[in-house]
Formats: sequence, C-alpha cells, structure tokens
Amino acid sequence: MTKIYGIGENQVKALDDATFSIGQGEFVLIVGSSGSGKSTLLNMIGLLDRPTKGKVFIDGIDTTKLDDNKISSFRNKKLGFIFQFSNLLTDLTVLENVLLPRQIGGTNGSSEKDARELLKSVGLESQLNKRANKISGGQAQRVAIARGLINHPSVVLADEPTGNLDSVTSGIIIQLMKSMAKKLNQTFIIVTHEPEHFGDVDKIITIKDGRALEGNHLREEEIIA
Amino acid sequence: MSMEYRLRLAKRMLFNKKGSLIGAVLAVTIGILVIHVNFVIFQGLFDAIVRDISNYRNGDILVTDEADYIDKSDLALANWFERIPFVQGATPRLSSSAEINMTKNGKLIEETRVPVVGVDPYRDVKASTAHETVAEGTYILNRNSVVLGNNVASDLGNAQVGESLKMLIVDRYGEDQVRRFTVAGIVKSPGGQGLDYSVVMHIDTLRDMMAREGESGSFMVKLNDPTKAFEVKEFFLAAYPNDDFIAETIEESAEEQLAGFRSGIAMINLIGYFGMMSSAFAIVTIQMMLVNGKTREIGVMRSIGAKRKDILIIFIFQGMIIGAIGAGVGTAAGLGYTIYAKETKMSFMNSIPLEVNYNWEKIIQTALLSFTLAIIASLYPSYRATKLLPVEAMRTV
Ligand SMILES: Nc1ncnc2c1ncn2[C@@H]1O[C@H](COP(=O)(O)OP(=O)(O)O)[C@@H](O)[C@H]1O
Ligand SMILES: [Mg+2]
Repeated sequence: MTKIYGIGENQVKALDDATFSIGQGEFVLIVGSSGSGKSTLLNMIGLLDRPTKGKVFIDGIDTTKLDDNKISSFRNKKLGFIFQFSNLLTDLTVLENVLLPRQIGGTNGSSEKDARELLKSVGLESQLNKRANKISGGQAQRVAIARGLINHPSVVLADEPTGNLDSVTSGIIIQLMKSMAKKLNQTFIIVTHEPEHFGDVDKIITIKDGRALEGNHLREEEIIA
Repeated sequence: MSMEYRLRLAKRMLFNKKGSLIGAVLAVTIGILVIHVNFVIFQGLFDAIVRDISNYRNGDILVTDEADYIDKSDLALANWFERIPFVQGATPRLSSSAEINMTKNGKLIEETRVPVVGVDPYRDVKASTAHETVAEGTYILNRNSVVLGNNVASDLGNAQVGESLKMLIVDRYGEDQVRRFTVAGIVKSPGGQGLDYSVVMHIDTLRDMMAREGESGSFMVKLNDPTKAFEVKEFFLAAYPNDDFIAETIEESAEEQLAGFRSGIAMINLIGYFGMMSSAFAIVTIQMMLVNGKTREIGVMRSIGAKRKDILIIFIFQGMIIGAIGAGVGTAAGLGYTIYAKETKMSFMNSIPLEVNYNWEKIIQTALLSFTLAIIASLYPSYRATKLLPVEAMRTV
C-alpha cells in the first residue's frame, strides 16, 4: 500500500508501495527509524486511516471496500488496539474499560466473567473497580492488553506500547504480550524502536524509504540505531 | 452500543466534569429564571393594574350606553344581574368633573376639573372594593358629604375629615350648580390605582346636580367567578337587544389603558427569550470544550469500534442531561421566586402590590423550551465530535 499525506508541494509519501503478509498466530515487530512510517502503516492495518493506494486484507476480507459503519464493526470484532499513551477512558473503571469493546459490539452473558479472567491473567484482579486514571502507566498498558484481547480479535495492534514506560516495566509488558500471544495463539503486530528487548519473534518488518522489508532477524543498521 | 450504555457514558463523562456541568446547568437555570422573574414582575404588574381597574372602576363587566347615559333604573339592572349566580354585585356609577373651593387657614384654595364619581353607597360595596381604601374617616355617605381621593385632599392644602368645601358642577343645561359638602373620609389605594384622584359622592346628589334624575354613566358588575365574564356579558346583551347597551369585559374596557403595557411585556418577553438564546450559546461553547477535552477518549472509542452514531448520541444525551437538570433547577428557582413574590405580596417602593399568579402553562412551556434549546445547542458539538477521526484522536497525548 501507499500513503501520501498532504497535497501539492507539502506532500509527504509516508509509505511507498509497502507490501507484506502476516500469518495467523504470528508475533510480528515493525521497526524503522523515527518518521519512517511505522505508525502510518499500523494505522492502515488497524483501519484507522485509509491508504492512498493499495489494499489491506484481513481474514481474506478486502477492508478498503467497507464503509465507515462496517469498518467500525470490523475494528470492534477483528482488531485489538494498544497505543503508546493513555489508551483508557478515564471516566470508567478498569473492569469497564476491558468490557468496553463488548459494550460497543454487543455484550453476552459471559462478558463480565471474560473480562475478570483476562484482568486476572494480566495480574490486575485487585484493581477491577479502580478508576482508570488512578492506576500506573504499566497497569494501564495491562488493561489495554486485556481490552485488546476480549473480543478474540484476528490481530492485536500495538504502537510503541512500552514507549512511555521505564525499562523494567517495559520488559514486564513485553513478556506479558509474548506470553498472552503464545497462550491464545494470538497474532500481534507491534511497532517498536527497541526490538532487541523482544528476543525471538516470528517476523520483523523494517520500514525504510516507505517500503517494507520482511525478515526474522534484526538488520545490522537497526542494532546500531 | 445500547442506549442505556450510551446514556451511562454520557452521564459519566459529564458528571466527571463538574465545572462544565455546573456552568451549563447554570446557563439554562439563569435563562429560565430571567423569564420567571420577568413574568412575576411585569405580568404581575399588568395583572395588578387590571385587578385594580376591575376592583375600583370597571368591575368584571362594564355596561355603558352606546350614545348617552343609561336610563334603565338601578333597581331593574341590579336585580337582573344579581339573579345570575356568578354575579357578586352590580352597581351604578356616574362621572362628571367639578370645580372645588375650600378655605384653609383663611386662604381660599381652588381646584378645577376634579373628576367626580357618583356611587350608590349600598350597592357599591358589593361590586367594588373602593370603600376598603378609606384611609381616614368613613366611606359615604349621606347626601351632604363627599369622600376625597388622597391626591385631591393634598391638592386642597391637606384637607381633613370634617372640613367643608364648595363644589361647582355644570348641569346638562349648562347651568352652574353649587353645593356645600362635608369631607367624610379620604381614600388612598396602594399604587394610586383607586379613586385617589377623584371626589366620591352619593350618586343621587350627583344626578341631582347634573340634572340627570335616574340616569347612570355606567354599571359595574363584579363576578365571583371572573372567568364567566364573557358568558354573562353575552347573556346580558341578548337580554336587552334594543337598548343600545355596550357591555365589555375588563380586558376590553381596560384595553386602552393597557395597550402600551401589553407591548412592553411583549418586548420584555422577547428579551427573556434572547436571554435563553444566549444560554443556548453558552451551552454550545461549554459542550465544545467538553468535546475538545474528550478528543482522545472519542478516538479510543472509535478505534475500538464505536460508530459515529454512538458518539453523536452520547453527546446529545449530555445536552439532554444538561437541559433536564437546568430546566428542573431553573423552574424550581423560578417557582421559588414566584412563591416568595406571592406570599410577601411583593411591591416596589410601596407601590401597587403585584398580582402574582402561577401560569402553569407558561411555566411548563418555558421548561420545555429550555430543555429543547439545550438539546438543539448540543447538536453542533455532538456533530463535531463525530467528525473527529480516530487517528487524529490518537495523536493527542
Ligand atoms: N497526518 C499527517 N499529515 C502529514 N504528514 C504526516 C501525518 N502523519 C504522519 N505524517 C508524516 O509521515 C511520515 C511518517 O510518520 P509516522 O508514520 O508517524 O512515522 P513513525 O511512526 O515511523 O515515526 C513522517 O514524515 C510524518 O511527518
Ligand atoms: Mg509513530
């Protein structure tokens, strides 16, 4: 896919025919220097923005053909999001935040049980009824992970999920994502500028000059960068 | 997203922004309060004037003759009216103007063109409350005494009860008729809407002086149920089809005096509605702030699947909550003021006491109007909220 921001002289070609595919259950990192288009790419995959040219297939569905309402439902059912900052609705409690995707897409009888279980597996069973603005950054990312998983999405997308955390907490969150991915056979696509902290992963996509280079090891220049 | 959940989110977001909530509610409240206060004061003043004109001068129905004086006998007309159960009393009145001389401390004081009202002392007390305004002395009345309006008394160098005066009235043939009277009492009404600028005398004496035996200028009819005025009036006109009577309800007979006031009230109401409009603008501003403050939250909700419609409805719900609380608080405050004004018989600078009524129709209408305005005011901010792109929202820290 290609993404061009702006018009005329102010045009920025953030992605230039970047092409790749990711299999079910893969744990994938997207790396690249700052401003290389990592977030842009993730936003396209997450259907938060549309490519200027090209297509995004998820579960074999051509998402570029969907209208706004269908895209919303698609995001709700098939995608989970973890962002760098303040992912949560601060007016809601921890538990309510995890339940939010179910509230949006339609709840079922087991929603609350599912949410409690997920919060337990990310280690927050004691914080269920705390308001989301009363917990630490690391805890907030755990809540975001639980929320991202509650609808059993096809893929969880994370844009620098540890970018705002200290290195110890950051390590814990990375391990949590990896273990959840393994346990649930859950596809993760994670934008990061510190891929070395992730250890072994299934795939690393490097964005350079708007293009996507696939591999399963870090390239020389990234280790230096 | 279910309606209940949208409402729950709307409430949460709003109640966690106490400052904005209070500001927006206050805007609605003040808008309503202004309308209530305006209504109490200006409609209260208007109704008080109508009340006093009715009580002191025109009754609920005023009967006059199309061309001239009424020549039906007092007895015939009064009996006709008093047979009707809604009628409390009916009494003849006759008006003229006089020249009055009075000697005070050896000095002669002369007043010209003083309005004179002739009343039937027995019938008048049933149809008018003019007799209740006696400040000194007694109301009439034998044929040799008069009651002075407070303003006439002071124009005559502070005339006192028991003093005597000379009155000149020109009769129907152009002849001067002069008589001497004793001051029996002085009347003074709050706000001066009573007979404060007139001289009150026995109607038969005035008839005599005007050479109009058995004639009356008008008949004032007081009802114990004023809402029946139109009915009684029509009934009367139908009963006397050939007598050239004019019968008017108080609204009709006082129209000339009230026309200006009426348009004044319309103006003031208009100002009140402008006030409400500015409340609506305040709500737009406050809600725009709320929406801007929730940019990130809206982005989060959108990115995890909330539809534009969900966002729209959440913010319209906020408008409804603001409108409902504002309408409730505003109406309560307005009613509080209204009750206070009514119970304390509020008046301004010792003037006419306001006639305060609960106009439920208007109270409910005002509450509904401001509720509706709050919702309309929330439409634009809500629409703006739906236009936030999830990706834009995510960019804000
Ligand atoms: N909304 C936008 N409008 C214009 N340019 C943008 C926009 N978003 C990103 N860009 C530009 O696109 C390029 C890629 O940005 P981004 O995807 O955020 O990079 P990364 O996440 O890799 O740091 C940058 O040059 C950035 O300035
Ligand atoms: Mg980025």
